[in-house]
Amino acid sequence: MATQKEKWLSKPLIYIALIVGALFTVAPFIWLVRSSVMTIQEIFSMPPKWLPAVPQWHNYVDVFTTLPFGQFFINTTVIVILNVIGALLSNTIMAYAFARIPFRGRSIMYGLCLATLMLPATVTMIPLFIKWKYLGGLNTFAPLFVPAFFGNAFYIFMLHQFFKTIPIEFDEAAFVDGASYPQIIAKIIVPVAKPALAVVAIFSFLNSWNDFMGPLLYLNDQAKFTLSLGLKMFLSMFRAEWNTLMAAATLAVLPLVAIFFMAQRYFIEGLTMGGIKG
Amino acid sequence: MSFEQISRIKQKKASSKKHFLSRQQNFWGWLLITPAVLGLSIWVFFPLVLSLLASFWHWDMLMPPSWNGFQNYAMMFQDQIFWQSVWVTIYFTVVGVPLQIVAGFGAALLLNTKVRAMGFFRTIYYLPSLLPIAVTSALWLWLYNKQFGLFNIILDKFGLPPGQWVFGTGSVIPSLILMSIWGIGNTIVIFLAGLQGIPQELMEAVAIDGGKAWHRFRHVVLPLTSPVIFYNIIIGIIGGLQTFTQPYLMTNGGPANASLFYVLHLYRQAFMYSNMGYACAMAWFLFIITAVIAGLVFKSSTLWVFYEGEGRK
Amino acid sequence: MKRWFMVALVVLLVVALVMPTMFAAGNVKLTFCFWGSPAEDKVVKAAFKGFEVAHPGITVEPMYIPGDISGSEYAAKLKALAQAGELPDLGYFRPEHFGAWATNDFFMDLTPLVKKDKLENTVLPQVWLKVKGKIRGSYTAAECEVLFYNKDVLQKAGVPLPPTDYRKGWSWDQFVQYCRKITIDNAGKHPGEPGFDSAKIVRYGVSYQLWSAMLLPAIWSNNGDFMSADGKQFLLDKPAAVEVFQKIGDLINKEHVFAYTNPSSTSGGGLPAPPVMLANGQLGFYVTGQWELLDLAQMKFPLGVGALPIFKKPAQLYVSGASVIFKATKHPKEAWELHKWMLTPDKTSDLYTSGLWMPTKASWYNNAADLKKWIDNPVHPAGFKEAVVDSMQVARINPETRIKNYPEIWGEAVTPEMELIWLGQKSAVEAMKAAKAKVMQLKLIQGVY
Repeated sequence: MATQKEKWLSKPLIYIALIVGALFTVAPFIWLVRSSVMTIQEIFSMPPKWLPAVPQWHNYVDVFTTLPFGQFFINTTVIVILNVIGALLSNTIMAYAFARIPFRGRSIMYGLCLATLMLPATVTMIPLFIKWKYLGGLNTFAPLFVPAFFGNAFYIFMLHQFFKTIPIEFDEAAFVDGASYPQIIAKIIVPVAKPALAVVAIFSFLNSWNDFMGPLLYLNDQAKFTLSLGLKMFLSMFRAEWNTLMAAATLAVLPLVAIFFMAQRYFIEGLTMGGIKG
Repeated sequence: MSFEQISRIKQKKASSKKHFLSRQQNFWGWLLITPAVLGLSIWVFFPLVLSLLASFWHWDMLMPPSWNGFQNYAMMFQDQIFWQSVWVTIYFTVVGVPLQIVAGFGAALLLNTKVRAMGFFRTIYYLPSLLPIAVTSALWLWLYNKQFGLFNIILDKFGLPPGQWVFGTGSVIPSLILMSIWGIGNTIVIFLAGLQGIPQELMEAVAIDGGKAWHRFRHVVLPLTSPVIFYNIIIGIIGGLQTFTQPYLMTNGGPANASLFYVLHLYRQAFMYSNMGYACAMAWFLFIITAVIAGLVFKSSTLWVFYEGEGRK
Repeated sequence: MKRWFMVALVVLLVVALVMPTMFAAGNVKLTFCFWGSPAEDKVVKAAFKGFEVAHPGITVEPMYIPGDISGSEYAAKLKALAQAGELPDLGYFRPEHFGAWATNDFFMDLTPLVKKDKLENTVLPQVWLKVKGKIRGSYTAAECEVLFYNKDVLQKAGVPLPPTDYRKGWSWDQFVQYCRKITIDNAGKHPGEPGFDSAKIVRYGVSYQLWSAMLLPAIWSNNGDFMSADGKQFLLDKPAAVEVFQKIGDLINKEHVFAYTNPSSTSGGGLPAPPVMLANGQLGFYVTGQWELLDLAQMKFPLGVGALPIFKKPAQLYVSGASVIFKATKHPKEAWELHKWMLTPDKTSDLYTSGLWMPTKASWYNNAADLKKWIDNPVHPAGFKEAVVDSMQVARINPETRIKNYPEIWGEAVTPEMELIWLGQKSAVEAMKAAKAKVMQLKLIQGVY
């Protein structure tokens, strides 16, 4: 394609820029991964060692022997999957209504919805906790995923912004063909907004994967703990098990890397799709 | 989609107007946002009202609260430490958020080009956002460390004196900003998704007209991604004003309160000093300030944010 | 038909609800909340198992709360539980919040139980935490401040090993002089020598933990104090305390012998830089909590312990987390049994032999056979008894459990100013004057609990 040829920014330049940026982002990460296979002495040797003399793979074994990391992993996965489903379902529908249906009271409800982003969670933590007691949700996963099904202003706002860029004529044409709102959402909006929905999926995945305060407050049994609580156990107090911590962090991140690598395809698909099919 | 398609749809539009009965719209609109209404009232409304009430209480969460009038607010405005936290937060937001947005947009443009191994690059740029924040904080504390930190080792290689980074009163906020730019994966991803919304046809049309890259950027890319830019600005401001975790885990507000962010101060009041009433007063002050700023940005958005969905050209 | 169905359903439901409790009759379940590293978690749970075996009919449900070093997350969770009426039966408690909760009657009064079981004098005198004359809890362990050193470094620098008798520690000036001898830059020059480059130090004399309580022994040693006994007077701006602040500040900025690695207001979360430097031979002395022995002992270097340097008189700090029984417990008797169990060092001996804690039981300090149980191992270096164990005789408790607004006085007023001393941006006199002004302005002086 002729237009893809950038006249002012030729491909080598793009590569150079990409690589420089990548070095900046990846350097700390390499630091982390190589520390995960070092002994404590090696990690903090002076002058610094860049690679371990003998890779200490047992650090990874230690992660599983010191804590039930497998169990934490399963718990986290369950919570995360429910969160992603909830976030995709609820926010898509609500953002559609806010963005594309001019119903009465829309701006007020939208404003209220966005306002919820502006009050720091610190002060709502305990009232919410008490609320969950009466709903019988303490020491269960419910407080950690049920709210996802009721929408999150952060995602509603984001999807709203994306939905607004889709020409309204699409909806109108569908109306002419006799489609209802749910059909429009499912058949028109969702396919076009795939990149934005991928973002919501990634964000809600990450947020619940890394959430610390929620599980800390609501879960009591260690058998119900999540990965982020497990990581925090390594970080707590004065212990200097930095190599094990780094191994645990690497393990916690690997699935995310794989998932993101898969999800980012949607950003290319959107590009080639250009418009709606069918 | 093609231009013929649009024009065809536009022709149909006139005839379809009557299908948009406002009653039906009201019904569907409210029906579809029912979860949000429920969610708001269950998860948000009660805590919101309680925290507003509590901002007028003396409440340590042990004894029953007692009415305190405007005492919490009065104390807050007289407290130098409170103003210090306001200053730190504004400094970080005003300097950090624009940098994050510019860097994020630039990176997204790069990551949207068609070159080999793009999936690999995207994943690398997003890596920092995948790490749990507790690990990120520990990692950066280490990178910034005076003796063992990567940054000082690099400086030393170039014969430069070691920096104080997060351990100096003057350098702590710039250091936290640098770290926040490292972690702009989320901003990048939103921009990336926004860039997908630009129809290739438009880009091609401008290119065929002899439009240079800058021209294309200014007249096609910027207006069409303006809703996403707008989103990132609003979220950036809200996030900046509520910055908490990094300073909490890394500096605990130090040295000498130089990184005492607003919400960190609030958190301490609530959970370390047991002044829940004061914390709620702080929360509501922040709430109002954020709402005012966000409102202003929203107002301004009619001037520069372009929604294709609204059909304005 | 329909009605019968409803009745059957209700009966079923009732049975389903009652059955478990019927089976559980006579079985008491206690929930015990605590924090700690993964290793501590294991030891504590093993102690619960032992308790369950010794007390058939009682099961212990561990409620482990991971969290930060400042303890605010632990406190936040307990606050939430208290507000929801879901507190555990007993467990660890953050000492800085102890006074407020005790005054508000959240903890069981242990006075009669301690009396009945004649426990008053079987533990160290500091252990029972009293509020208004009533015992509302106990310290979980005994912890204090220790001077650690790397023998190789000292010998290489030609510095004598410090005395081990806690009453015969070096004077401050002697200590500083030895620190100077240890410190060298990359050209092999010592501080004070011409051409010494303080930006290129490769070996430091000393590092201190610099958070609130860790400074108290030095201040007490100089006859100073944090606050008066009645909590009505702020004393850190008095000459005795100011002198200590200035002298430690001088170690950093004037003498250039101090590895200032972690100036943040908390000690946790960051890099374990000083212990690692000590092990690597980049540091001579390290003054910190005795609990770091756990890590230091695993690092395989010639570790030594000595008496803390003395300003005017030997001083020591008693610091530890607290243990309490929550008043709302339905099983006070069983909870007390478990509380006692956890106070008995034999049940959790790994916590003591590993170097993490010191026991609360008095006989483990003065009875040779009991002492052997926990310090006669490769973890505890020679001289540990004279330098550390014996120093507990003069240990004063960390006033955090008694003085009102303790966390706020430090966090809001003192620590930020103190950090300016360490950074060399303020003299100790000015800084403490400013700290006092803040304390007064915020009306933080409210006496004791």
